[in-house]
Amino acid sequence: MTEPLLSARGVTRRYGRRVALAEADLELFRGDVIALVGPNGAGKSTLLGVLAGALVPSSGSVETVDPPPRIGWVPQRPALYGRLSARENLELFARLDGIADPGAAATGLLRRVELAAADVPAAELSVGNQQRLNVAIALLGGPDVLLLDEPTAALDPAHRRRVWDVASTVSGQGGAVVFASQHLDEVHALATRVVTLHDGRVSFAGTRAEFERVAEADVFA
Amino acid sequence: MTRALLLLRKDVRLLVRSRLLLAGLVVYPLVVALLVGVVVRYAGERPTVAFVDEDDLPRVLAVGGQRFRIERILEDVADRIELVRLSRREAEARLATGAVSAVIIVPAGFASRIRGMVESPRLLVETGGGGVAARIDERVQALVYNLNLRLQKAYIRANLHYIDLLRHGGTGTFIGNEFDVVGLERAASLLGEIRTRTHDPVAREDAAALEQFVREAELALAQSGDSIRAVANPIRLATHEDVGRTWLISARVQAYALALTLAFLCVLIAAGAIAAERDENVLGRLLSGVRSRLRVWELVAAKAALAALVGLVLGLVLALGFGAWVELAGVAGGEPWVRLPVLVLGLVLAAGAFGAFGILLGVLARESRTAALAGFLAVFPLVLLGLVPSAAVPVAGWVSEAFPFVHAVRLFESALFDPHPWSSLGRELAWLAALGGVFGAASGIGVRRLLT
Repeated sequence: MTEPLLSARGVTRRYGRRVALAEADLELFRGDVIALVGPNGAGKSTLLGVLAGALVPSSGSVETVDPPPRIGWVPQRPALYGRLSARENLELFARLDGIADPGAAATGLLRRVELAAADVPAAELSVGNQQRLNVAIALLGGPDVLLLDEPTAALDPAHRRRVWDVASTVSGQGGAVVFASQHLDEVHALATRVVTLHDGRVSFAGTRAEFERVAEADVFA
Repeated sequence: MTRALLLLRKDVRLLVRSRLLLAGLVVYPLVVALLVGVVVRYAGERPTVAFVDEDDLPRVLAVGGQRFRIERILEDVADRIELVRLSRREAEARLATGAVSAVIIVPAGFASRIRGMVESPRLLVETGGGGVAARIDERVQALVYNLNLRLQKAYIRANLHYIDLLRHGGTGTFIGNEFDVVGLERAASLLGEIRTRTHDPVAREDAAALEQFVREAELALAQSGDSIRAVANPIRLATHEDVGRTWLISARVQAYALALTLAFLCVLIAAGAIAAERDENVLGRLLSGVRSRLRVWELVAAKAALAALVGLVLGLVLALGFGAWVELAGVAGGEPWVRLPVLVLGLVLAAGAFGAFGILLGVLARESRTAALAGFLAVFPLVLLGLVPSAAVPVAGWVSEAFPFVHAVRLFESALFDPHPWSSLGRELAWLAALGGVFGAASGIGVRRLLT
């Protein structure tokens, strides 16, 4: 069996006394599309934050292959500079990533996520367009691992399809995708594996076929 | 480091786009600096002092033939002390509550002692505690000095009048008693007459000796006027006005204005800039991941550099403005333009240290509005602490040493006007660098908190 791109072992994350995530294990292999499913506050965003390296686990660890994969993270709330335009945001993050031609990278991604209003301040974009920019920033440099936290919540059906096409491309090119979603149709359509969380604990981990045997009522209980 | 510069460039771009905010951040500390300058200049300038007259002083006091209008004398000192006439009981009650800073008591018998010119009358002074006591003491000393000067002139005039009486003879008064004096001139001529009229050779010889003594005494007394004045005023002060700078363009106000402006501007900008990264939700993007885009120290350095850059630009504009003013006004000494490179170094380090403190506040506050409020709340008392003379309140001095404000003030004063600045410059630059390092390191530890 090949080495996992990313693996979380016994990851716990506490906020004071509150345990947001308890002893979670997850292994992410090339080609995986893992859906994180669970009610609000179950620990999905915390797990994605820990995998992205934005949150330091209180205990447990996250390990990677060597050399470490490039990670693209799409947080639930858009992470961008509101007073910079979409193009300026993309160029800034491209420069920080050391991409040789930030202008070309920005233009390419604006086209890829079909964002026309490239030169108005990001704060003036609609919520949906901000989310598309949010996804575009995560795609800079061609990530090996794409972590998506409810990326389609504010998107219309056409753009939802576009985001999932992008995610499928990443996994299809030997990368891996982990996404959190409340939409079971997306889970059924896209995921190769499913992890459900309840009160910070992993309550189910298995293939999509195994998940389909679990009643929806149990997932969001 | 390139990544920190990229972030700095982004912040400068955002700052330039927020022109209203930038204008407010620049104008506000300048106004505060001016107000503090005025307060520093005039605070306690005319302390209220109770005046207790237990002697029931007359409206006009005659001493040595000179007439003193008491109210006029009190009015003359009113530009430095606000005198309030009170009874002793009321004055002491007000001193106890701090309503007056001191009490000057004119005890019974004061006027008669002055008129008698035989013993020095006493004024009693009671002061409150605290740092203002020294200032009151200084003002009362000045008041007594002025009174003594006037009385001295009166006494000298009276003494010279007695000498005139001794030399030329006439009628005088002493302690209310009138008397006639022959005078040395008349005595010499009388002795001359005796010497010519007498035939007794011994008496003639004695008269000649006495006449010689009287003439020598008369000559000696003729010189005594200048001697008395010289003894009364061994050193005379010659004052020339309009030579130095006015307080508004004094070295101290210039240094305070620079330090105060930098304190507000740099702390607020740095605190707001770091907290804004969290508000925009981008910290995760910048710092997270196994291949993070930015290291924590680069993020802190970028924000400190932003504060240093803005502080440098504004500090230079202020310094150049002051300099232009000084040159146009033709003020003595002019502006020390050769010190500009030293000032630039000082501005960068001071602004960076203020910035590092601001970053720490921003990290603790976590979001930009709270960071701005925390910045105001922290800077105001720290600046005020720096304005309190450490000799008056030592604790204020110790606390201020732990923040960049007093070091910035000393550094700017030294950089601009100290004839031998290098040791103090080195010391204050080291202080600022150390404080910047400590605050920067603490900020770096705290930045991770912003990711949660």
